[in-house]
Amino acid sequence: MGTILTTIGALVLGGVVAAATIVGVVSSQTAAPDKSPTNVNAPVIEYGSN
Amino acid sequence: MRQWRSWVLPAWSSVLALVLLGPALGRGYVLSFDMVWVPDLALRPDFLGVATGLPRAVPSDAVVALLDEVVPGMLLQKAVLLGSLVAGGLGAARLVPHTALVARAVAVGLFQWNPFVAERLVLGHWPVLVGYAVLPWCLVAAREWRQTRRFPRRLLCLVPLGSLSAGAGLVTALVVLAFVAGGARTLRALLLVVAANAPWLVAGLLHASSSVTDADGASAFALRDEGLLPGPLAALGLGGAWNAETMPSSRAGMLAVVALLVVLGLAAVGARTWWRRLGARDGVAFLVCAVTGWALAVLTWVAPGATGWLVEQVPGAGLLRDGARQLALLAPLLAVTAATGVDVLWSRGPSGLVGRLAVAVAVVLAPVALLPDAAWGVTSRLGSATYPPSYDEARDAVASAVAEQPGDVLVLPLSSYRQPAFNDDRKVLDPVGRYLTPDYVASDELVVSGVVIAGEDPRVREARAALDAGTPGERSELLGELGIGVVIVDVTAPGPAPLVAGEQVLATSDLVVVVLPDTAERDVPTGWMVAMAGAWSAFGGLLLAAVVVGLGSLRGARRRRRITI
Repeated sequence: MGTILTTIGALVLGGVVAAATIVGVVSSQTAAPDKSPTNVNAPVIEYGSN
Repeated sequence: MRQWRSWVLPAWSSVLALVLLGPALGRGYVLSFDMVWVPDLALRPDFLGVATGLPRAVPSDAVVALLDEVVPGMLLQKAVLLGSLVAGGLGAARLVPHTALVARAVAVGLFQWNPFVAERLVLGHWPVLVGYAVLPWCLVAAREWRQTRRFPRRLLCLVPLGSLSAGAGLVTALVVLAFVAGGARTLRALLLVVAANAPWLVAGLLHASSSVTDADGASAFALRDEGLLPGPLAALGLGGAWNAETMPSSRAGMLAVVALLVVLGLAAVGARTWWRRLGARDGVAFLVCAVTGWALAVLTWVAPGATGWLVEQVPGAGLLRDGARQLALLAPLLAVTAATGVDVLWSRGPSGLVGRLAVAVAVVLAPVALLPDAAWGVTSRLGSATYPPSYDEARDAVASAVAEQPGDVLVLPLSSYRQPAFNDDRKVLDPVGRYLTPDYVASDELVVSGVVIAGEDPRVREARAALDAGTPGERSELLGELGIGVVIVDVTAPGPAPLVAGEQVLATSDLVVVVLPDTAERDVPTGWMVAMAGAWSAFGGLLLAAVVVGLGSLRGARRRRRITI
């Protein structure tokens, strides 16, 4: 009984992580950028921001 | 069966690297922040460390300039990026040799797919990534040196490779010394790391008078909070690089917290077993490296004022201002303890094949699941760009001009960064100067969150003053006195480009080349040349010795095979 439960638990864990990986990667690639990182018309192009 | 298993880690590491780089592997050059590669980087005196400014790209630029004589720049860049990622991942697996395959795959994933790698890739710090990749290999070799008392000859190649920039060189040196130290070996190890770091060390000493940096840079480049995580905790998860624009978006949310808890949880599970298997001597070396890296990063977060004072007063202290860069020292410890944690759990996990397979999928994919937006060039922050034909025209025009009348090039506008349309408006350090063949003067002033961080090159200041002169003729004359023979203007870049008198030899839609009438010759002190020749001999000597030893080993192996047959 314990072995069956452990296997089911492992299957659930593996399935959740695999699904989360695929969903996470796909959604991050298809989501619109949250903000425009740069302004090409700025008087000086900044190296970055904190 | 065994043969199949030996391919798992290289295959997994390669898949991760390919998915991570994504569009960066397409046709063209990856131009991202400080990463500027060109088709054929010409070797010039300044790349050897005799420029008037601080030697920020010594020895990496010179090494690339030599290598791209053999391998085209585009191919070389892809090979360096892909090779670094794969080598780093496989190196991490070598740190946990006696664990289950699944645990080694986790070590590969954690070392290769993390915020440090993603953020340094976007920042364009490729020499840091090369150093990061050789770190586990150096560590294993250094440990072998101490344990067997025989010098592992591969260190002749690994240590110079890990010292392609000052920051990377310091990290490599600390790791080698921490794992080798003891008895007479310490001195030999010290000589090895000094020789490998000689080009930037000597060039830095020659520039000692200008090697203090603007205090404002300390705050700008300090370790940063990431979303819900304060700086010190972000650093524990290998994140917190100063530039918010390079941070994967997922680091701003709960996923960063979950990732930290998972990694630290696994590390806690594995810590005792790891310590028992490794022994106190190596365990302490791992801890010294990790604590040093984390503490140096956190110092910039806790006391940016003190760091600012340090970089302004102490020559060379500016190397420490980019706090999160030192986190490379923490990565090996995190990878090995977390992988050992997986090994411990694996030995107590489900016994059936299906259950074990499911657990393996979960733990091996976990690094990707916890940082999904590192995929595909950190969500397309990295890409490949093709230079417009005008760059080749400018290179030819400038080369012809300096062949007739030697002189350096001044790149205008005097600002450091560009967002060229041909690079999909991605930010990059002005690539024009590197595309050309002579030495060049370009702005080294940086602007971060509206704060201007002064550059260190006195020649840029002098050129700026010359450009402030009243007439094009006066500007041209003053620039000529500085050794400037050609002025090239990127008309697509924002910022002023005052007119200078001279012959306009090229005018395209984006670049204009003006040859100045008179140019004074710029003298490099003979003492500098002699000192740098010594430094390069030490660095090149190590690589040459590595090649000779490698060829010797190859010949020996062939002879042994022939005898066996």
